[in-house]
Amino acid sequence: MEMVVVAPPAPGRLEDLRRRFFATPLQAVLSLACLAIMVFLVWKLLNWAVFSAVFTTSGGPEACQAAAGACWSVIAARWRIIFFGLYPYEEQWRSALACVAVVVMTVLSCIPAFWTGRRIALVWGAGTSLFYVLMKGGVLGLAHVGEEAWGGLALTLFIFVTTCLIGFPLAICLALLRRSELPWISRTTGLIIDGVRSLPLISILFTFAVVLPFALPQWLQGDKLYRVILGSALFFSAYQAEIVRGGMQGVATGQEEAAMALGMRYWQRVSRILLPQAMRNAMPATINQFVISFKETSLVVIVGFFEILASGNAAYGTGEWRFAYVEVYAFIAFIYFIFVFSLSRYGAFLERRMSVSER
Amino acid sequence: MISTNSTGEPALRIENLDKYYGTFHALRGINLSVKRGEKIVVCGPSGSGKSTMIRCINRLEQHNGGRIEVLGTELNDDVGNIDEIRREVGMVFQHFNLFPHMTVLENCMISPMIVRKQPRAQAEATARLYLEKVRIPEQAMKYPSQLSGGQQQRVAIARALCMQPQIMLFDEPTSALDPEMVSEVLDVMVTLASEGMTMICVTHEMGFARRVADRMIFMDGGDIVEEASPDEFFTSSRNERTRQFLSQVLGH
Ligand SMILES: Nc1ncnc2c1ncn2[C@@H]1O[C@H](COP(=O)(O)OP(=O)(O)O)[C@@H](O)[C@H]1O
Ligand SMILES: [Mg+2]
Repeated sequence: MEMVVVAPPAPGRLEDLRRRFFATPLQAVLSLACLAIMVFLVWKLLNWAVFSAVFTTSGGPEACQAAAGACWSVIAARWRIIFFGLYPYEEQWRSALACVAVVVMTVLSCIPAFWTGRRIALVWGAGTSLFYVLMKGGVLGLAHVGEEAWGGLALTLFIFVTTCLIGFPLAICLALLRRSELPWISRTTGLIIDGVRSLPLISILFTFAVVLPFALPQWLQGDKLYRVILGSALFFSAYQAEIVRGGMQGVATGQEEAAMALGMRYWQRVSRILLPQAMRNAMPATINQFVISFKETSLVVIVGFFEILASGNAAYGTGEWRFAYVEVYAFIAFIYFIFVFSLSRYGAFLERRMSVSER
Repeated sequence: MISTNSTGEPALRIENLDKYYGTFHALRGINLSVKRGEKIVVCGPSGSGKSTMIRCINRLEQHNGGRIEVLGTELNDDVGNIDEIRREVGMVFQHFNLFPHMTVLENCMISPMIVRKQPRAQAEATARLYLEKVRIPEQAMKYPSQLSGGQQQRVAIARALCMQPQIMLFDEPTSALDPEMVSEVLDVMVTLASEGMTMICVTHEMGFARRVADRMIFMDGGDIVEEASPDEFFTSSRNERTRQFLSQVLGH
């Protein structure tokens, strides 16, 4: 005889809500109280940010300060400083285009269709050189703008992207060296990684920006900006190397043996078999590391760069808008949120895409 | 002892092979010679060094003493020799070791393309040919995780064959399989044997051994204890350890 097993009917929306939040009288009271608090807070926030807020610059700072809500006119009046820092006013369109170039480059390199060595190299080469030419000028009739004048969002993006572009391959090299069969190589690499990880980022940035010039000959120093980027890439790579190594440990030893038995050489095994699987294992932690280092770009302010957070300080710091710092920080937080949230959504997309072939 | 389809020149010659894991003496002066087209079945209790021996043949393990010569090339520290030998020697593992991030077809195509530098179209044609041969052409676009154990092992065989090796090594290819899937893998191996492939199989499938083996090798404690034709091996083994082992494997 055949048994027919029927799954219990799924509860409706309302029934589900009742069960979750109103199962007992006490629970019902608590749920209602929480709901009331939430509605109150959301109302307060909306009232401040939207209903009672001032959006135009027409009244000037005084009218704005008098209003009960947020004073978004500070953004309208000062957005150029926030986005472009100290970059010369007439040239700021270049900085804007440079931001667009970096964002386009990042988005393109996130698309699986671009994941071949040649295409990625093309995208990155074109993106970074476009950024550099636009920002620095001095060619094609563009006025020269030194790195010390770069700032705002463009600088934040540039530091972040170059940190990752240099740090990521470095991290993979370190991770591979650390699992070398020669003990002196793996130990030395381990020592370097642990050494860098035991230092705070601030001290590394400070060393690269301020101390290194005393130790290096003039021709090796380069601009302070590039030394800072190198320092931050080194820091990034030490952490990312451990993440990659963790991912490699998750790859079965049989994988490498199978690849050897098929005649693949070391680099073929690493690039075709080991890394694709290791990076897949390491994906969540990697995205996390990207998010952290995006936010850590704000530390370059201590060595004198006006990235977006420092530019924000400058935006409200000049007399008349001094009272509007909350609005400026809220705005900058929103910009950070856009970038970090896109990163984590992209991470989620990658995990979904990869889970297709998982066991 | 010498089967009819074996010809003169040896495919493999092992002389006084020694292998140590640290201080543990895993292979104790092994001698073995395999002719082209010959099928060898290796058996013996767990830990007797069967895997170690066949893994030395394609240098997944490095031997510490003696000589190994594969298809006339000596296996030593010369990387060129190692690469050359690995191209000509296919291996099938107990746990399949398919690449989980590639489709079945890609698993079969990758090595011919990057090691043998075959153009994609040719590699794909070869891959489809061998997938047909192991009777799973319809699974080409799937990922390994979507296949049963028996199907995965047949893919692993096809993957090794796509390199068009002259010698095939099998290390307990059916030990990790559910019983009902064992025969589909053995059938493929029997077909391969009948086509004249030189095969060295570590397996406890005695029915298979009877059907295809030209020679049986019995190992114990890191040494080859007995070498005999299947007939002799199964019916009139002189060796005490062999008889005991056979009664355990065939027993119940
Ligand atoms: N990587 C290794 N390190 C140390 N000992 C090993 C290693 N591989 C195998 N051995 C030892 O060598 C002996 C032979 O192993 P193996 O060749 O795998 O036996 P079999 O395949 O016949 O079961 C066993 O005692 C095993 O414990
Ligand atoms: Mg074994």
